[in-house]
Amino acid sequence: MSRSIEISENQRKFLLESLKHGFRLTDRPFDHVRDISLYLSPTEYGYVEVSWGKTKLACRVTATVTTPYEDRPFEGIFTINSEISTMASMRFDTSRSNEEILIARIIEKAVRRSNSLDLESLCIIAGEKVWEITVDLNYLNYDGNFIDVGCFAVMLALHHFKKPDISINGNSIVVHDINERQPVPLSILHIPICLTYSFYNLTDKESNIKGEDADEICLLDADLLEELNRDGSLVITLNKNRELIQLSKNGGLPISAQQFLELTFKSMKTIDQLTDLIKTKIKEHEELRYKTENFKLLEASADR
Amino acid sequence: MDITEVISITKPQSSSQYNNIDESNDDSDIEMGESSAGGASAGIVTPGELITEDPIWMKGHGTYFLNDSTYSSVAGSVSRVNRLLSVIPLRGRYSPETGDHIVGRITEVANKRWKVDIGTRQDAVLMLGSVNLPGGILRRKSESDELQMRNFLKEGDLLNCEVQTIFSNGIASLHTRSLKYGKLRNGIFLKVPSSLIVKSKNHAYDLPGSVSVILGSNGYIWLHKTLANTSTTTTVNQNAAKIQGRDYAPGQGSISITRLEEESSWEIYSDQNDPNITSSTRSNISRYYNVIKALAYGELGITEQRVILGYEASLAYSNIGSLIDRESMEQICQEVLNSEKMRG
Amino acid sequence: MELYSPEGLRIDGRRWNELRRFECKINTHPHSADGSSYVEQGNTKIICMVRGPMEPAMKSQVNATSSTVEVNVSLANFSTFERKKRSKTDKRITELKTTLERTFNECIMGHLYPRTLISVTVQVLAQDGGLLAAMTNAVTLALIDAGIAMYDYVSGVNAGLYDQTSALLDLNTLEENDMCSLTIGVIGKSEKLALVVLEDKLPLDRLESVLAIAIAGSHRIRELMDMEVRKHGNMRLAKVSV
Repeated sequence: MSRSIEISENQRKFLLESLKHGFRLTDRPFDHVRDISLYLSPTEYGYVEVSWGKTKLACRVTATVTTPYEDRPFEGIFTINSEISTMASMRFDTSRSNEEILIARIIEKAVRRSNSLDLESLCIIAGEKVWEITVDLNYLNYDGNFIDVGCFAVMLALHHFKKPDISINGNSIVVHDINERQPVPLSILHIPICLTYSFYNLTDKESNIKGEDADEICLLDADLLEELNRDGSLVITLNKNRELIQLSKNGGLPISAQQFLELTFKSMKTIDQLTDLIKTKIKEHEELRYKTENFKLLEASADR
Repeated sequence: MDITEVISITKPQSSSQYNNIDESNDDSDIEMGESSAGGASAGIVTPGELITEDPIWMKGHGTYFLNDSTYSSVAGSVSRVNRLLSVIPLRGRYSPETGDHIVGRITEVANKRWKVDIGTRQDAVLMLGSVNLPGGILRRKSESDELQMRNFLKEGDLLNCEVQTIFSNGIASLHTRSLKYGKLRNGIFLKVPSSLIVKSKNHAYDLPGSVSVILGSNGYIWLHKTLANTSTTTTVNQNAAKIQGRDYAPGQGSISITRLEEESSWEIYSDQNDPNITSSTRSNISRYYNVIKALAYGELGITEQRVILGYEASLAYSNIGSLIDRESMEQICQEVLNSEKMRG
Repeated sequence: MELYSPEGLRIDGRRWNELRRFECKINTHPHSADGSSYVEQGNTKIICMVRGPMEPAMKSQVNATSSTVEVNVSLANFSTFERKKRSKTDKRITELKTTLERTFNECIMGHLYPRTLISVTVQVLAQDGGLLAAMTNAVTLALIDAGIAMYDYVSGVNAGLYDQTSALLDLNTLEENDMCSLTIGVIGKSEKLALVVLEDKLPLDRLESVLAIAIAGSHRIRELMDMEVRKHGNMRLAKVSV
């Protein structure tokens, strides 16, 4: 059984008191995400490390050629493996706890089921050969909020990744080495971003259930202490096109529909910010590579 | 959003014989008027329903409050006694009370105590000091007793006992410090809803057909063969009989009271059933079992009188097994009620 | 096959704001459980049984201040159109289980039953859309039947958006497969949401209309459940006083 992190009553009360007075212990605004630092591998495609505050994880994308599922001969295969080891925290161990399964499921719903990656573009020879894209998430350090960071990292890695170029000779395929021919980026249809809101009830239970005023505190991107003390959580996944990919409020503190709607609308701003962050970072990285690896020389067309 | 926007099609409601179905609007306040002392009001309340907004009431079990409003937390009937407002749930687990005679099953042997399942929310405890130990009541508890607890009572054993106290956290503490309590043998166990057991002075009865029954207040029932030597015959009498019968030799058996407890104690923890239970006794026990099940099915309160009436009614069925048919059960309940009416 | 005709009729003949046939019974298993219920929402059929509050089976489940709620979900192999064997550790089942546990942990007055376990077993006999909603309703009824103190009903229903324009209430499987589905669990008569699950895409600007009809639908289901509880309760009271 995994060890649970014990929080003393003192710490808990201190946190709730500060929230009552309107500030978080790390003095971040309630609706701000932590500082994000990104690392994109300069040498290979598809490896990124993402840190939101102290929560850190590494994400790797790999591609292999394989046969497609029988009932879907035109589509490639896309899987996301998300396993949390004890390295991230003593809380997680080899047995898959409900928490881990929930995290994996939400990321899967956000990225895979929403068709963010165009599976038909992964098809090489229909019914026989397709690309199988595997995303592996390795959680390195746990300081709260694996879902948001995980989803962000997956999208960043997918953008970063390039699959080897392919040429088809009748029924056989030739996979070109990345040094031989320039690899091809993946076709990503939209960028889902997850945001987790944590709820705290600072009054008593009865006021929450029967009271008229919504007195619940709502924090975006909870760190470890905040996450362990929360009474409920809501994961909103949106993309820049104002489409809700998924919503997950798996129980927890009841909140009013009004507050709920407000949160979804408010999230758009952060979603835009984060989507732009991914895009700019990838673009920067591309330009850097272009320069350092002298892609200019590889270009077939010449300047006129 | 207006709820009338939703269309739902339901079965036609038969005109109810119970004129309590609340079809009034949402937050209707039940009229208080002059609050009378005692008595439950008609109709039931459901969880989340506003009972009253009068702050004068003390909030009892089954309610919760916010500011001045009192809401119900269970489905049940409202009870207004003096100034206490509470809701009695329609169903619930057995709640132990001091002095209840109950039947329980050992679930765990722990440090100087046994944990006993009596059908309550938390298992009851039976302290080592609350049982009769072999060797007489004046015997001191020794450490070897603690290590040998399994020799007295082990997991799975049934016993009848009495609730001695209830701790502040709701856990009952039991004791078997009387010859009528202790480990149960020679019989069969059955469970009925605890609300059907009528609390009375005595819970152990001898029934016709050399069968005895213990009706635990918690709904756990033990049917067994009536003891051949009932508690009326004691060692004193046995020895007295020997003296009179001229087989008595001086020094053979004594008449001291402590010896009396001692002798009976060795057998109290025996696991051996009586090998001589006749098949007629066994079939009587089965018959009583099915009769009690029938009474439970008909949701009649179970008393000694009703069990006997049911038994007599069941004699019409020569095949005991047929008593578990629904029609037979209903028939028996009907007969019991009729016999009761006839007797006045 | 058109899921929503221009005249406003769905494939089973319902209107956009019409609930499926809702049937419920409580106290269906008086001898095998402390509380039990049976719910039918259209063709989705669910049995729920509650045991407790009782002594926890494992020492690890003991919580000194409150009761522990344990939910076990079992989807019968024959519950879907095609027979499919499901493992107990299926991710989807775990998610449903965790959602129900967390929802009812908030609604049960756990502080009244410290150091006890409330064990809820949900058995799904037939699935035809609205699974989580029907399970929520079944669990609510079973808990009420067991006499466990709760703050209020939790009633659930799902709703979807057809063709980016029309909100539809109470989707069945065919509709769920084809459009986004929002399942909510509402507390009592209020607009407080205990659970919200949206799978598949929904335009953000349409959320409000779908949510609104879903809340209205939940309130109606709560009424229907309440009627059944009262009917049953009055019947029992009448019997007892006889």
